[in-house]
Amino acid sequence: MSDAPDGQFRTARAVFVALALEEWRLHTRLFGGWRFAAFPVLIAGLAVGATVALLETGTDPATISLGVHVLAVGFGLYSGTAGFAGSDMLENVFGRLSLVLSTAETLPLSRRWLLGAFLLKDAAFYALVFVLPMATAAIPLGGLTAGAIPAVSALWLSLSLAFVAGMALTVAGIALRTRGVPGWAIVGAIAILAGTVWTAGEPGLLRSILVPLEAPLPVAAGLVVATVAVAVGSLVLYDPAYARPDRTASDRFASLADALPLEDDALVSKTLLDVSRSSGGVWKPFVSAAILLALVAGLVGVVREITGIEPAPGIFFGAVLGLSAFTTYNWLTQFDSLEAYLVYPVSIEAVFRAKRTAFVLVGTPAVFVPYLGAVVWFEATLLDAAVGALLLAGYGLYYYGLTVYVAGFDPNEFLFDAVRFGAFTAGVAVAVVPTLVAGFVVVPPSPSVAAALAGSSLGFGAVGYVLSSRAGPRWDARYRAR
Amino acid sequence: MVAIRVDGLCKSYGAVRAVDGMDLTVDRGELFGFLGPNGAGKTTTIRALTGQVRPDAGTIRVLETDPAVEPLETRRQVGILPEQGSPPSFLTPREYLEFVGRIRDLDPDTVAEQIALWADRLGFQSKLETLHTDLSRGQQQKVMIAQAFVHEPAVVFIDEPLANLDPIVQEVVKRFLVAYAAEGNAVFVSTHNIDVAAEICSRVGIVADGRLVAERTPGADDEPLLEVFLDSVDDADARDVPAGDLIER
Repeated sequence: MSDAPDGQFRTARAVFVALALEEWRLHTRLFGGWRFAAFPVLIAGLAVGATVALLETGTDPATISLGVHVLAVGFGLYSGTAGFAGSDMLENVFGRLSLVLSTAETLPLSRRWLLGAFLLKDAAFYALVFVLPMATAAIPLGGLTAGAIPAVSALWLSLSLAFVAGMALTVAGIALRTRGVPGWAIVGAIAILAGTVWTAGEPGLLRSILVPLEAPLPVAAGLVVATVAVAVGSLVLYDPAYARPDRTASDRFASLADALPLEDDALVSKTLLDVSRSSGGVWKPFVSAAILLALVAGLVGVVREITGIEPAPGIFFGAVLGLSAFTTYNWLTQFDSLEAYLVYPVSIEAVFRAKRTAFVLVGTPAVFVPYLGAVVWFEATLLDAAVGALLLAGYGLYYYGLTVYVAGFDPNEFLFDAVRFGAFTAGVAVAVVPTLVAGFVVVPPSPSVAAALAGSSLGFGAVGYVLSSRAGPRWDARYRAR
Repeated sequence: MVAIRVDGLCKSYGAVRAVDGMDLTVDRGELFGFLGPNGAGKTTTIRALTGQVRPDAGTIRVLETDPAVEPLETRRQVGILPEQGSPPSFLTPREYLEFVGRIRDLDPDTVAEQIALWADRLGFQSKLETLHTDLSRGQQQKVMIAQAFVHEPAVVFIDEPLANLDPIVQEVVKRFLVAYAAEGNAVFVSTHNIDVAAEICSRVGIVADGRLVAERTPGADDEPLLEVFLDSVDDADARDVPAGDLIER
């Protein structure tokens, strides 16, 4: 890159344009042209629909606004990881797809500039295709009036700031990692900070930071300045020469495969070792389930506050926690591809069967441990806790089967395919909505409601099993016909 | 004895005819070179011969199996070194070869012997406990070569065997392939490298536009293989082939 400032900016602009073009083509080619174009429309539909439903059930608009901002921050935290080729996930998901991102190795480009441009492009791209549709929630919140467009614009700006703040936090964490700060120290520092703010009784301050739209101007302006400072500071701090030393491991494969009394022991063992040895280790599915647990716990609190009724916690947590099947399956398929298995004498059906076994082995403790904590904390009745446990097992398998059948081996990619994402959402809603309604209306569950929900769990579990069994032949035919 | 027989093989990807009427045979004991420019249909042919893609037309026999009908049986009997390396895995080379051995129902003691043999032959003893994802491309290629031969198959399909290997290991691999074929096995090598094909192959088929356009026996034919290749490709391949006069530069 040229040393002259105008040369640097010219190069950065060219890189930014190439990255943006690459991002657009990646999504439109990967997820099928118009189907990707429909994705923002789907997000807008979900945002408006969910907001209307929440308002109709008496939820405070301020709570809805807070919820949307929390989602934006969460998405930003997740998106921030995409800027750095150091993470296993990035190497696997994006490494082979982004030509421009890898040009720092072959062209005289500063890796810091390149990453800065990459993150800027990501922020702009997702602010448009994801955050802007989310901001349409402002329409039902404020009513369909002449002020709707300014209201959507204001919410968009506020959500975008929350999203970028989330990204900046993740980038800062990764930059610290490249300077040798251990991951546990970073996570611990964030937990202590959040705990301090929470226990100091400053939820108002936390809310102001999370929802810039409602914050006093100095606080919102402060958040802008802090976000920019953290983002720029992180890029300066980031060590482009950071390289993780080679990792070694003693032979665990044979003993693990011997210990599994299964038909597909080799395939299952490979998946378990891949997950446990990749960044975050075997705790990744637990973290995903814990995040879901926290969201559901917050929702239970909100419902109790508004209606004065506490939903049946067993049913509530049982029906929703199973959704972590999606993230767990995502981890299980992150480190291989179906094509790679085609050189061995194994069927695609066997690969999917092995993934299902691995899902049961990894996913069961990952959801049942937080579930047990939740039913104890919220003092569920024995019947409620038992029904919830059944729902967790049956619905978890159903969500898993639905994910595998709809998404095949690429659950991450289908998130941006409007048709497939829409089908998945509808499939989830069919099970979860009536169950949550039952959990709201009959508290604690009567024996007849409990029996009906237990039957529902068995039925959906069976559907999940069938779907996951049919996924193998379905995707085998697709791959071999390519 | 014929190990591989292909008649009228066709395979299209949408509007692109990747393989368009391929006919060929390879006998046991042959080291067959499959030579052609980029996009000529080499990799698709190998994928069809090993049951990884379903052909649109034509018949294939590999060791008395039909890969279009019984792909698992074909893959059980052959060894495959794919063009693209395996995706990052968190198994070590030792564990990965144990994984392959278990998939192929090999006795653990045999697998252990093969691991020691191949680590010694290709020189990755010191990397046996390193995670595969942290190996260099060359080291990953060595492990992938080992997995293709760990069950000592009678037919092996190899796509660019020497990619990313240093000259010493290239020489080892070349000699091994010649010796392996001489033991009565069929070795099917897809490559862009004319010199390597001329040096080690007992017969070379030149592929262009998705079909076999010429066959030569290196050493027996007077015309240099490069000339045969350029003539064949100029005549037959309508795709992106560099201008001949630029090759002189």
